Amino acid sequence: MQFRLEKRPEPSKLMLYVTPVASVLLTMLVGAIIFSLIGYDGVGAVREIFLTPLTNSFKWQDLGVKAAPLIIIGVGLSIAYRANVWNIGAEGQYVMGGLAATGVALATYGMTGWWILPLMMIAGIAGGAAYAAVPALLKTRLGVNEILTSLMLTYASVQLIYYLVRAPWKDPMGMGFPQTRRFAADALLPNIIPGTIVHLGVPIAIVVALIAWFVMSRSVFGYQMKVVGAAPHAARYGGFSENKTIWLALLVSGALAGLAGMLEVAGPFQRMVPGFPTNYGFTAIIVAFLGRLNPLGVILAGIVMAITFVGGEVAQTTIGLSSSATGVFQSMMLFFLLAGDILVRYRLKRVIPAQEARA
Amino acid sequence: MTITRRNILKIGGAAAALPLLGSRAFAQSEPLKVGFMLIGTVNDNGWNFGHATGAKFMKDALGDAVAEPTIVENVPEGPDCERVLRELAQSGHKLIFATSFGYGDYVIKVAQQFPDVKFEHATGYQRSDNVATYNARFHEGRAVCGTLAGHLSKTGKAGYIGSFPIPEVVMGINAFVLAARKVNPEFTITPVYISTWNDPAKEADAARAMIDQGIDVIAQHTDGPAALQVAEERGIVGGFGQGADMSAFAPKAQLTSIIDNWGPHYVEAAEAVIAGTWTSGDRWPGLKEGEVVIGPYNESIPADVVAAAEAVKNGQIDGSFNIFTGPINDHTGAEKVPAGVTLTDAELLSMDWYVEGVNPPA
Repeated sequence: MQFRLEKRPEPSKLMLYVTPVASVLLTMLVGAIIFSLIGYDGVGAVREIFLTPLTNSFKWQDLGVKAAPLIIIGVGLSIAYRANVWNIGAEGQYVMGGLAATGVALATYGMTGWWILPLMMIAGIAGGAAYAAVPALLKTRLGVNEILTSLMLTYASVQLIYYLVRAPWKDPMGMGFPQTRRFAADALLPNIIPGTIVHLGVPIAIVVALIAWFVMSRSVFGYQMKVVGAAPHAARYGGFSENKTIWLALLVSGALAGLAGMLEVAGPFQRMVPGFPTNYGFTAIIVAFLGRLNPLGVILAGIVMAITFVGGEVAQTTIGLSSSATGVFQSMMLFFLLAGDILVRYRLKRVIPAQEARA
Repeated sequence: MTITRRNILKIGGAAAALPLLGSRAFAQSEPLKVGFMLIGTVNDNGWNFGHATGAKFMKDALGDAVAEPTIVENVPEGPDCERVLRELAQSGHKLIFATSFGYGDYVIKVAQQFPDVKFEHATGYQRSDNVATYNARFHEGRAVCGTLAGHLSKTGKAGYIGSFPIPEVVMGINAFVLAARKVNPEFTITPVYISTWNDPAKEADAARAMIDQGIDVIAQHTDGPAALQVAEERGIVGGFGQGADMSAFAPKAQLTSIIDNWGPHYVEAAEAVIAGTWTSGDRWPGLKEGEVVIGPYNESIPADVVAAAEAVKNGQIDGSFNIFTGPINDHTGAEKVPAGVTLTDAELLSMDWYVEGVNPPA
């Protein structure tokens, strides 16, 4: 018996929104079954990973802090992916944004003033955008695939951190540990809720997503991104330049990743360390797709992804589940989502061999 | 009531404790919950395995007085570890071991919010009322390894895979080459820093590159057996297990191993917390106290070489030998420690210079 995928004439609008939710539920169900089968408390694992972070109010601050960079980067990526520009190197742009902001923080060390943080923010945005400009240039001038260049530049950016924190930016008080000094008070993000770890980056993430949603749904820019992605020929015919779209997509996604890098280094990290790249740039790819490439959806997806991270640690402390389990759950979620997408856009059709049909 | 950090913690703490009240009210002496935060996985067969073994030792020794230890793996040195520390403290762990250098800032920060929880930070230097530090004198073991290397190496060149150039690592490199040069005055060592405690691919790459450049002994201050496996595969003179016995991975190449024996310290700390006698401070035991143990020697090593290594080991145990007694020159050849003078612990803990025989990394 053979099957063939046949494109549906019009994918169901309802199903497009149901699949992300269904994939999260399926992940919980299948996860519970798999972990039970290999001898763990499967139901407990799902409860601790997906529910405890929501029901324990102590965990909300963690969710906000963990989700913020995922949302900011995810929003940028969703804009680029809408235009069929595959920026896989958000992690590198995040790092460069963080480094640029660190540069400002160290250069202004010993100074005070309200202007330091905004300057760091501009530096972070510029750093991320500049790093994304490299794949844009290579793609538009030489036709080099942006997936490869943006991904490989990520590794270069990590080496740049190692170089900077070991020599020129090394903390004079750090016992030789490769890290920069702790930023001065005016270069640190203020906490917006006293007594918690919730910093200014959390509301910024929401504002960024709302602005992006408005721009994508109401402006010519948003229309251009969507048309170039969905129907390149029609877009060209309509006068939208493909190269210009590639530039815009990479610069916007790079700038937002850079902003996230600035917020992380000035918020939770408070200094640049070799451990600064924590895969937010890669995880945000899942967030962008889980959020249906819609900035509002990305907010929800960012929170779901943060839940799995925070919950994964809860599961380790409460039921002794290995840390790899978190990865398994996240991967399952993306798998079900992509598989679901195929079935929303295509239908499975049984191929009836010719002779059988004749008989 | 105004909203202050303290009040929020109080409210949150009370809310979190509510469901537990039922069971708490009756159990007067419930078992102590002990948490361990690791940078890698317990099956790395090295550093993290050593701590997990210590946790198990503690449970076996104290029985029902402690709960099954909670081990959180793969916690990066950064804001993520702060969350894990709070998670452990909130879930009722009264003694928490943070077992990697880079956790320091966050341990101090979280400890302020949980004054009734005791924290112990391995290999760190920052302390407070409820944060103690503990470490082991690994460099004593390095002196034994260096003695073996001095005798066995044919090229007189060793490679050393380090994580970060912090005093703890620099000290180990220096102890190793000082011991080797007592046997072979021409001995040199080349450190390579890979900026991580655990990345088997990077460790193996560094090992291969150094072997290609002519080293025939390799040592590492990273968490796993990757470098030893390369040594085994390439058939060089050998290397050393770090943190645990790694002979299963390199039966020919492992000359001996430095085994971290954290168990007794974990028992002691847990007992002190139960008895209410725990105090902050710094503990730095070594071979003498049995916190650093030299594993079995490879049977291919000639008996006189084993005897030389044992002599260095026993000298450190009875106090007659200290690897950091002068004369010691720095890597440029200038005298750093005069003859007969021994570096103090404080000097060791801020060591940022290499001894003669080290080719400093760029």
